[in-house]
Amino acid sequence: MSNISVSTSNGDSRAVGAKGDTVLSVKDLAVSFPTDDGLVHAVRGVSYELRRGQSLGIVGESGSGKSVTSMAIMGLLPKTAQITGSAKLEGDELLGLGDAELSRIRGKKISMIFQDPLTSLNPVYTVGFQLGEAIRTHYGDLSKQEVRTRCIDLLDSVGIPNPQQRVDAYPHELSGGMRQRVVIAIAMANNPDVIIADEPTTALDVTVQAQVLEALEKAREEVNAALILITHDLGVIAGHTDEVLVMYAGRPVEHGSVDEIFYEPRMPYTLGLIGSLPRMDESRDQRLTPIHGTPPSMLNLPVGCPFRPRCPMHQDICAEVEPGLLPINGSGHVAACHFSDQLEGKAPDEVFAPVATDLSVEAEVEAVEAEAAALHEEEDK
Amino acid sequence: MVVFIIRRTLMMIPVLLGATILCFALVDLSNDPVQDRVFEIEQSTGEPVPQSTIDALESSWYYDRSVPERYWIWLTGLGDTNGDIGLLQGKWGPSIEGSAMDISYEVSTRFWITLRLVLFATLASIGIAILAGVVSAVKQYSRTDYTLTFVGFLFLAMPVFWLGSLFKEGAVQINKVLGSTVFQTYGSGTTGFRGNGWEVFVDSLPFLIVPTLVLMLGGYAAISRYQRASMLEVMNSDYVRLARAKGVRNGTVMRRHALRTALIPVATFAPLALSGAMGGAMVTERIFGWRGLGVYSLDAINAGDTFAVMAYVLISGVVVLVGVLISDILYGVLDPRIRYE
Repeated sequence: MSNISVSTSNGDSRAVGAKGDTVLSVKDLAVSFPTDDGLVHAVRGVSYELRRGQSLGIVGESGSGKSVTSMAIMGLLPKTAQITGSAKLEGDELLGLGDAELSRIRGKKISMIFQDPLTSLNPVYTVGFQLGEAIRTHYGDLSKQEVRTRCIDLLDSVGIPNPQQRVDAYPHELSGGMRQRVVIAIAMANNPDVIIADEPTTALDVTVQAQVLEALEKAREEVNAALILITHDLGVIAGHTDEVLVMYAGRPVEHGSVDEIFYEPRMPYTLGLIGSLPRMDESRDQRLTPIHGTPPSMLNLPVGCPFRPRCPMHQDICAEVEPGLLPINGSGHVAACHFSDQLEGKAPDEVFAPVATDLSVEAEVEAVEAEAAALHEEEDK
Repeated sequence: MVVFIIRRTLMMIPVLLGATILCFALVDLSNDPVQDRVFEIEQSTGEPVPQSTIDALESSWYYDRSVPERYWIWLTGLGDTNGDIGLLQGKWGPSIEGSAMDISYEVSTRFWITLRLVLFATLASIGIAILAGVVSAVKQYSRTDYTLTFVGFLFLAMPVFWLGSLFKEGAVQINKVLGSTVFQTYGSGTTGFRGNGWEVFVDSLPFLIVPTLVLMLGGYAAISRYQRASMLEVMNSDYVRLARAKGVRNGTVMRRHALRTALIPVATFAPLALSGAMGGAMVTERIFGWRGLGVYSLDAINAGDTFAVMAYVLISGVVVLVGVLISDILYGVLDPRIRYE
């Protein structure tokens, strides 16, 4: 699962890039939340285009604005959120729509899968009711029997055994992986154009993760939807997406195809993320290179590049000008760094210093052991 | 479910027994009606009371035996009795007010008067509290929310006797202004009125409004706060968000997903308001001149009328236990995760 090497055959088997028309186009989306301490700029200008059948991965650490971006598109943010920019689904603006108009789109044209399957289903209704609700809301003229048949089909297609019986089960009677599959079934119930999966596997253990991702992949192929996969698991991104958007401090800092992001990252943050992952194809002796520090507060962002305090390459200009997304080579790969050309062909450990070498760790361990031995001797006396 | 109800009903018996033992000991040890009566007779006649009179009083009230023996005879009626005692035989025991005051008759007529008050007040307070709680939660931090919160805490803070007097005075003033008696503020119905259930209800309605309001507002505050908190918690839950993501309209989400689930904790808590209302009825009945069970028990406690107090304790105990039973059943009905085997 956490094997990040991208096999080229994987990329070929799936249609990369322009397969169909643009379904979702997001432009300059910004979201702020008023708090007692001032405005929190959670998202500061996100733009991307999603084509039919395409799969876009959004990565970034907690608080980088991944989820808020998607929730803003779905209209699920609290009323206090201030949203600007535009999000168009097949040319129709989504932002600023009222409850009635949004309800017609949500679940039918664009649907969402949430992080925690254990709390995503209402404990007092059966799985069938909640799945059927998604269908009945948009197709009120279907008979009870038709809805039930469709529910059973859907449960079957996401890989739930005995769907005829499980359709009448309550959520607490199902395991976490099963529940997440039910949520996926809900998301694909009305053959949507776009499925947004917000960390669909974070709360599940690794074996179940694989099954759930498989179900998600199948769902996407079955309804030929575009997928937005939000995660901080780079392994999941490598295996299941065509394009990757890396977010930091509420902004995209790099955007490109999976291969470009994993093999030619041109933003130090992306490089750092890759360097902090264990790799199966390298020797075990190599230490991981962490990115030091923490993300900045979104309340009072300093001018300049938000990654500057953590960046080993930063120079004077970084404190003054926040770089925009600059094209790298004309293929659509863009990165927000003043010195992206310097990163060409660099490995993570050439830019980021490892915290500790094996030798220093060994020395530390020995020192501690010696101390403990000395203490023992004293006690014996 | 039926088995569960039967089992729970059977379990009420030891609880009730325990309650009666405690109450009996408390009531019996805290006064001595025989001594009180002897003192009264002495005061009125000015002569010492002959031993034969004292013996007669003691034997007619069963005070010629020990407390445990008296409890036993009150409960079972077994042994050497005058044939007027024994709960299990349907006899409530002698009242110290004499044979003119039959406990059984008093209790059975007054029970319905009090139940009318308590039941209306409890149902109304639960209904209004759920409504207010939901509105407060949906419109959190709005002016409506703040107003409802203020009103809730106001009534929570006011003692029933003060609230009762205030409302009674208010109703009297309204009547004066209107020049008619819209609200009856004394008694529970037209004296001696007889008719079928509906006629009695219509007749008693003007008498019912103000006392019910008083009793209701006392219970309303706590439940509405509870409902608000539980609703707020559910509204922020993932499944409410998922329901909206499915395309369900906001109002339907609130009703079908948020309210339905938020009712579970309230439903288990609200029937206990019955017990609060039973206590509040004592005061409310006194203020509004109702001849109900609450007033009767108050008088009995003052007079040290052990067997009358015990009758009240038993009845209010049953009412409270029925409330608990209802809350348990509601819990199972509302929450599929609870199963009664």
